[in-house]
Amino acid sequence: MEAVVPKLASFNLLNPKSKSKSAIRRFSSALCVSSSPSVTSTDSVSLGHITRPDFPILHQEVYGSKKLVYLDNAATSQKPIAVLKALQNYYEAYNSNVHRGIHFLSAKATDEYELARKKVAAFINASDSGEIVFTKNATEAINLVAYSWGLSNLKSGDENEDHLFVFLASGYKAYKDTGFWPKYISVILTVAEHHSAIVPWQLVAQKTGANLKFLNLNDDESPDLDKLKEMLSRKTKLVVIHHISNMLASILPIEEIVHWSHDVGAKVLVDACQSVPHMVVDVQGLDADFLVASSHKMCGPTGIGFLFGKSDLLSAMPPFLGGGEMISDVFLDHSTFADPPSRFEAGTPAIGEAIGLGAAIDYLSTIGMQKIHAYEMELAKYLYENLLSIPNIRIYGPKPSEHVQRAALCSFNVENIHPTDIATLLDQQYGVAIRSGHHCAQPLHRYLGVNASARASLHFYNTKEDVDEFIHALNETVSFFNVFK
Amino acid sequence: MSLKLSSTLNTSRRSFSPPLFFSNVKRTPISNIRIPRNRSVKSFTCVHERNPEPITTTSTKLQLLVSEFNSLTEPIDRVKRLLDYAAVLPGLDESGRVQAKKVAGCATQVWLEVVMDERGRMRFRADSDSEISKGFCSCLIMVLDGAEPEEVLGFKTEDLTEMNVGVGVSHVGIKAGASRVNTWQNVLLAMQKRTRCLVMKREGKVFAVLRGTIHVIMCPVSSTYKLLAADALLYMSF
Repeated sequence: MEAVVPKLASFNLLNPKSKSKSAIRRFSSALCVSSSPSVTSTDSVSLGHITRPDFPILHQEVYGSKKLVYLDNAATSQKPIAVLKALQNYYEAYNSNVHRGIHFLSAKATDEYELARKKVAAFINASDSGEIVFTKNATEAINLVAYSWGLSNLKSGDENEDHLFVFLASGYKAYKDTGFWPKYISVILTVAEHHSAIVPWQLVAQKTGANLKFLNLNDDESPDLDKLKEMLSRKTKLVVIHHISNMLASILPIEEIVHWSHDVGAKVLVDACQSVPHMVVDVQGLDADFLVASSHKMCGPTGIGFLFGKSDLLSAMPPFLGGGEMISDVFLDHSTFADPPSRFEAGTPAIGEAIGLGAAIDYLSTIGMQKIHAYEMELAKYLYENLLSIPNIRIYGPKPSEHVQRAALCSFNVENIHPTDIATLLDQQYGVAIRSGHHCAQPLHRYLGVNASARASLHFYNTKEDVDEFIHALNETVSFFNVFK
Repeated sequence: MSLKLSSTLNTSRRSFSPPLFFSNVKRTPISNIRIPRNRSVKSFTCVHERNPEPITTTSTKLQLLVSEFNSLTEPIDRVKRLLDYAAVLPGLDESGRVQAKKVAGCATQVWLEVVMDERGRMRFRADSDSEISKGFCSCLIMVLDGAEPEEVLGFKTEDLTEMNVGVGVSHVGIKAGASRVNTWQNVLLAMQKRTRCLVMKREGKVFAVLRGTIHVIMCPVSSTYKLLAADALLYMSF
């Protein structure tokens, strides 16, 4: 099947000349239409207003009469009609298992599934779709790297015949520095990583004896990159780092980090869950070795995520899970394995979900990731500045400035009020959905000296009015609890 | 929306009747709580009446609590009522707010103390860094403090969903699931787990082995040994 794949996410396919008279298409008509964002182009209406009609879930009242304001996008995003229709169409028209049957439906399902892989590859500018492995989610993608690449590359090297030779020839110190000795092999992570990017490495480190070293924050409350440069050495085998922090909203210069890491021979795994849905991510430009992201945070279905890995790395990695699809030949006493990406996709994959993810990528690409990023930067500034007006508030992460951009989310605490109490009242009284808790970043909360925080996180379908309603509700909530004390 | 909400929120905290089970900040002993002959909530006054009829069963206390919360139609009023309950919970001092007493799985920090008194009844004390969670604990303790172990163990988490308030509690009548942040459920489960351990300890069905710094408690079940959950065991002083 001929694949029509948008080459890079930043392409805006909209025709600037075709200005729509009515910027917002009616919801009913959007339902009948297809896969592109509702609207064409306009200067006066924000991207949030333009795209909201594509998200039916946003147009509802909760608890009977409270208009929903959804500000929990860092946890998961909402899905446009185009994605819902792609899922429905798959199950209605060509549900079948992939890479197996020779019948019509199976061929169609296989084509669409592989087309989705091509769309992901194009979206993050991977050089080949074989570098994209579909996983259950980003967590599974990190576990895949940990168990497959990690177990092979962070271990002692006992079987390495050079081992003793290096020791004898170069002496103890030089031997230590080679990093052969497992005790001195290290993985560098930051204290701000999501649990999913910490725990798999703890498990693998227990098996291999590798050290986990954690990069702290600097005074600006973003990961201390100067310190990272000092920490990197020939013993560092891997750097695990987020692109955008799900709590601090800091955006890291991955390209530079990769450059420094490669200089000492370390690989880099980028947790891009909070960046791929919101900005242009170009894995070739970043030169990342591994990069993971999650469909459900980028307007796609749950149950699917992906791993990007450079093809030479993937080719050298042993399987993670065993089963159908990932084999070449199976004998009773052994098996041979398929090439990547199939080697890492044991069993029937999440076919409909992959196709839904492909539809989400089409949707995002049609708007243009640069446009989404630019709009979200505007929203981010608006959110941060307005949140500062709340009395006794503490917003975590770097302060925005000419040189420092923050992602469109704010984690915060208000003095003497538990964030969960705030979130509960915002939800029940105002229909404002935010997250409270540790956001799967307990080490970071511990580092900042708090047990929990509240977090409002935006996406391109949010508007300044959403922020206004949130701020108004938060003000009243804070007054409420202060009066009640 | 904002006008309506503002007016609701500006209502002072004591704008409606005090919590059913606590008339003031000083905690009312459960044995003093009385059921009036007329069970309507409004006419229900709580303490020190003459010729009172004591509330004896947990189910009665639960029913009253549920009807008390159900009589409050506005979410904000239910939250206020929870905060009223929170205010009368004695709480724990610093020495009680320790890791070993934490309830696992809550979005907030909750500490729970469970002991069996000399009459074999379960006594609970709890605290939280969240006022709303503290309110949940206060309600649970109000219902279950002083109950027989069997009553505690027989209490269903579904019974609490009727109260229609708080994180993880359904607002559409579906029973609250095992949400990671369901304080009601997690505190109740911790109460039950620790009660079960204390019952087994009383009946001599448990013995402890000290291995290094880890207490391993074994319990004979059907001629085999079942390892009990570690967090429950921290409450049993051997």
